Amino acid sequence: MGTVDIRNVRKSYGNVEVLHGVSLHINDGEFVALVGPSGCGKSTLLRMIAGLEDITAGDIVISDRLVNHVAPKDRNIAMVFQNYALYPHMNVRDNMGFALRQRRMSKPEIESRVNNAARILGLEHLLDRKPRALSGGQRQRVAMGRAIVREPNVFLFDEPLSNLDAKLRVQMRSEIKELHQRLKTTTVYVTHDQIEAMTLADRVVVMNGGVIEQQGSPLELYDSPASRFVAAFIGSPPMNFIEGSVVNGSHVRLEDGTTLHVPANNLGDKGRATIGVRPEHFELSDAGWPATVSVVEPTGSETQITARMSGQVVRILIRGRTFVQPGEVIHLTVPPDLIHIFDDSGTPRIHVSTRGIKQHA
Amino acid sequence: MTIVATAAPRRSSGQLGHRIRIVTGVAITLLFLFPVFWMVLTSFKHQVDIFTSPPKFFFTPTISTYVEYFRRADIERRLINTVIVAAGSGLLSIVVGTMAGYALARIRLRGAATFGVLILLSRGVPPIALAVPMFLVARQLGLTDKHITLILAYSTFLIPYVMWLMRSFFLSLPRELEESAMIDGCSRYGAFFKIILPISLPGLISTLIFSMILAWEELLFALVLTNRVASTIPVAIAGIAGDTINGANWGALTAVGTITVVPVVIFALLVQKWLIQGLADGATKG
Repeated sequence: MGTVDIRNVRKSYGNVEVLHGVSLHINDGEFVALVGPSGCGKSTLLRMIAGLEDITAGDIVISDRLVNHVAPKDRNIAMVFQNYALYPHMNVRDNMGFALRQRRMSKPEIESRVNNAARILGLEHLLDRKPRALSGGQRQRVAMGRAIVREPNVFLFDEPLSNLDAKLRVQMRSEIKELHQRLKTTTVYVTHDQIEAMTLADRVVVMNGGVIEQQGSPLELYDSPASRFVAAFIGSPPMNFIEGSVVNGSHVRLEDGTTLHVPANNLGDKGRATIGVRPEHFELSDAGWPATVSVVEPTGSETQITARMSGQVVRILIRGRTFVQPGEVIHLTVPPDLIHIFDDSGTPRIHVSTRGIKQHA
Repeated sequence: MTIVATAAPRRSSGQLGHRIRIVTGVAITLLFLFPVFWMVLTSFKHQVDIFTSPPKFFFTPTISTYVEYFRRADIERRLINTVIVAAGSGLLSIVVGTMAGYALARIRLRGAATFGVLILLSRGVPPIALAVPMFLVARQLGLTDKHITLILAYSTFLIPYVMWLMRSFFLSLPRELEESAMIDGCSRYGAFFKIILPISLPGLISTLIFSMILAWEELLFALVLTNRVASTIPVAIAGIAGDTINGANWGALTAVGTITVVPVVIFALLVQKWLIQGLADGATKG
């Protein structure tokens, strides 16, 4: 059983504070992804859970045991590194068995655990090879095997797929997911790739500038981003932001004077506002927000249109095919509950979309 | 000696360029090897053949100089001394220098970088300036003319050398290797001895070899700190070259010189595999 409780944790290097008080509770068996741009502190937080970085302030509790001053080897965790960190002088069998030998486990027990992990990961025929004789994907599997044999309380992954090519990354992604469904070991997974986070995790924690911006299930983050940052970070292609200012409560005026009717109850008083719409939520219609098409990119199953609205670029994703041409003026509508409005500080002016939460609650 | 030609074979003009490069390379190599060749050649000449002008390349060889000076210059004892001192100082320096280099490469300590540079700068002090104070210290401690004195004296310049070489070697290893070992159940020492040292073996051995060669040919400290009992081969050569009474005996000089070089060459050939691997195999990443 593995729970991780992070209580108001801070980290400073000299005078520079990189984590500004992070609290997070991870349940037994849960798959949590820490995601954010580089420098947001996600890797530092993971390394603090592992015991590879000191904790400047706050507490980290793993399975009801305060581990602030516990050495990495005594935390009963296993970690998979971005560069795999396989021991180059040992073959695959010895790499996977190393941690067990350190614990003076009996030879037959080590043998059986290594063989079992090798079978799960399809590494049986590679057990006698050295790491340098393995491909990237195979090394990745050995690194996971090394973690599995430990049967730890918590798995820690630090961008484990970043060194793989795109195709292999997708494949390994589903292998990791399958592995978690099978073993149900508590997992903390750091990545900068929001798709990886969304597809793998039960809960996604978005970090930015050393704080947690928002946490929730992947669809909660997609449906109800708590800030413009999260809105921009989650979703691919990313959400469109159209800048303007509020006029008379239900309209937003853009720079060139175009006024967009925003079918929401209340936009608040006057002031700057940013309309956020995901590309896939636009619909083509006869009347609505006008935009001039600049590029049309059909992929068969869907069509991506790049258009300009008062000088601002918007991307539109239409399911199926469409016959608009570059230069053409199109009109866009958006279902009212799929429009996001953010004020100048990036916080939502109104929570328009509550759809996802209501449906899933 | 291995010459590695990296140029890919190309068509006619390229091949000509390739040949010119090889010829030039061989010419430069011969130029640098000539003094060694001349030393070995002279060591087998009779006294009368040494100073002829023009120099003789063909003569009746003799090993009489070797036979005579092997006894007169106490070569056997000096050879043993040199082996003891080179091996002793090499091993001591590799143990201390490797651990110091690891600490400098990995442990975050305030002032560690400055400390490392200071140690390196200590090599900027001319050894001759240290030789006399060192002699005085050794005399006070009753340590003159002893192997341990030379071993310690050589360590003063070998340890910084090993430390800096090994430091950059350790820096080229991914930090995650130790971190992974520490999560897998090792202490920092455990990670160092079980993971880092085995990986560093090629670098370690080539550094050890270079250190031992440096100690093997060291003259100044050996001259000042030893007299007879612990005296090394280079001191014998200096003695012959600086013989102001009889004048330098060139035959003896070159014979003892050859005796000095031969063990190094044999040693280098024996460990060639490690040397090349050590030079080429700096990082074991990925």
